[in-house]
Amino acid sequence: MISGVRPTKGYLMEMKRRIGFIERGCEFLKLKRDHLAKELTTSIDILKGRRSLLLNNLREAYDALTAAYISLGPTEVESQASSVKSALKLEVLPMSVMGVRYPYVKILTKPQVTAELDITLAHASVKVYEILEAIIQLAEFEARAERIADELGKTNRKVNALENTVIPAYRQVIKFIESKLDEESLEELVRIKRIGGAMASRKE
Amino acid sequence: MKPGFSYVVIRTHALIANLLSQAQTQRLAESKNVDGFLERLAETPYGRITVEGASAVPIALERVFYGKFLERVLKIVDLTPQKIGDFLKTYYYLRFETLNLKRIIRGKFSDLTSEKIIESLVPISPYLVPSYKELADSASVDEAVNRLKGTPYSEVITKLKLHEQFEAIWPLELALNHVFAKTIFEAVKTLPERDRRIIYDVVEYEVDIENFLAAMKQRQESKTGAKPEELFPATYGISLEKLREVIETKDLKRIIESLGESYAKVLSPIYKGDVALIRTGLRRHKYETVTSGKATNAFGFNVIMAYLVYSEIEKDNLVGIGWGKAQGISSQELMKYVVIPRPV
Repeated sequence: MISGVRPTKGYLMEMKRRIGFIERGCEFLKLKRDHLAKELTTSIDILKGRRSLLLNNLREAYDALTAAYISLGPTEVESQASSVKSALKLEVLPMSVMGVRYPYVKILTKPQVTAELDITLAHASVKVYEILEAIIQLAEFEARAERIADELGKTNRKVNALENTVIPAYRQVIKFIESKLDEESLEELVRIKRIGGAMASRKE
Repeated sequence: MKPGFSYVVIRTHALIANLLSQAQTQRLAESKNVDGFLERLAETPYGRITVEGASAVPIALERVFYGKFLERVLKIVDLTPQKIGDFLKTYYYLRFETLNLKRIIRGKFSDLTSEKIIESLVPISPYLVPSYKELADSASVDEAVNRLKGTPYSEVITKLKLHEQFEAIWPLELALNHVFAKTIFEAVKTLPERDRRIIYDVVEYEVDIENFLAAMKQRQESKTGAKPEELFPATYGISLEKLREVIETKDLKRIIESLGESYAKVLSPIYKGDVALIRTGLRRHKYETVTSGKATNAFGFNVIMAYLVYSEIEKDNLVGIGWGKAQGISSQELMKYVVIPRPV
C-alpha cells in the first residue's frame, strides 16, 4: 500500500493526466538540454579560438609597448599617456538564449589617443586597445558559456530527476491503482457470481 | 679663463675612452634584474647608484642617467671656446627645455598636480623661461602657455585657439617644435664655417627622420586637420613634397626607396611594423656619422660632437636597459634597441 494514494478511478485518471503532462515537460527539457549543449559546444570552440588570438595580440601589444618605452623612455611615455583624455566607455546590457540571461557589453565610446602620442606609443596604444576589445568580448563569451553550462547542468538534473525518480514513481502509483482496481473488479465479479449462484439455487 | 681648443679636444679623447665599451654595455643588458644591473653598473665609471625608496625604479634611474649626461654636456660647455660652448648649451638645453615645456603642458592638460609635473621634468635648470615651477603651478593650460609671454617661446601663445578648437595639445607641441628648429638653425650660424657640416649632418638627418615618423602618424590619423607646412616647419633631405606623399600615398615602399640608401636603411623596419627600431637606426646613423667625422678630423670640433652623441646614445641605452631589467625583458629583446658603442 502506498501512503496517501486513493485507489480510485478518478485518482487514476488524475495520475494519468499528470504523468502525461510531466512526460511532455520532460521532452521539452530534453530539447532544451540538447540545444544548450549545442550552444555550449559552439561557445567553447569560439572561446578557444579567441583565447589563442588574445594571447597572440597580447604578445604583439607587449612588444609594441616595450619598443615605445625603450624608444621614448619611461617618463616620456607616462607624460604622453597622461595627456589622453577620452576614455573607453561601456554599457552592460542583458541578453538571453533559451531563457539563459548573460551580459552583453556595448562599447559606447572608443578612446581617441593617437593625435596626442608619438608614433611608437600610438602604435602600442592601438594594439593595447585591440586587446581591451578582445578581452571584453572574451569576458562576454566566458560569462555566456558559464551561464549556459550552469543552466545545462540544472536542466540535466531536472531531466534525470524526472526520468529516474518522478516518472517511475508516478508509474508505480498508476500500476498500484490499476492493480488495486483490477483486484477490486475481480472481487466484485466473484461476489456477483456468488450472489448469482445463490439466487439460482434458491429458485430451484 | 677657458683652456685652449687643443686641450679640450685632447681632454675629449680621454673622456671618450671613459665611455662604456661594447662588452660593458652587453654585460649590463645581460643582467638578470635591476639589482644585477646596478651591481654591474657599479663596476663602470658610473659607480654605485642607489634608487632605494623610489616609487618607480626605472623613472628614478632615468633621472640619474639624464643627470650624468647633463653633467658631461656642462663639462664640455665649460671647457670649449665661447661660441662652440654657447651653441652646445643652446642645442642640448633648448632640446630638453622644449621637452620639459611639453611635459608641463601635458600635465596641465591632464590635471596632474604641480609636484607630479615637476617630477616628470628633465633635471635641468630653466634655460629660456624664468621658472618651471611657476609654469607647473598655473591653473590651466591657457595660463601656463600665457606665462611664456616675453620668452622666445611666445609664438606658442598664438596656437591656443587651435588648442581650444581641437581640445588637444598637438598644436602647442608643434609650435614648440617650430621654436626649437628655428632657434637651433640660427645658433648653428654662430659656429665657424668648418664646424657646421657635422651639426647639419646630425641635426638635419634627425629632423628628417622625425618628420617622416610624424608624416607616418598623419597617415593613420587624418583628423588633426593640420597642414603639412604647419606640421613640418623645417625640412631638409626629405622635402615637404615627399612628406605630403607619405601622408597621402599607399605605396610607401616606393617613396622610401626614392629617398636614397641612407634613409631607406634606417626606415626599413617600417615594413615589419616596428617603428621603434627606426629610432634605433637613427641613433646608429648619428653614431656612424660622428664616428666618421671624428676619423676625418681627429683634432677638431668633430671630436667634441662625437663625444656628446656617444654620451647621449649611452644615456638612451642605459635608460632602456634599466627599464627593461625592471620589467624582466630578455637581453635578446633589449639588444634589438640598443646601439652598441664601438669607439675608434
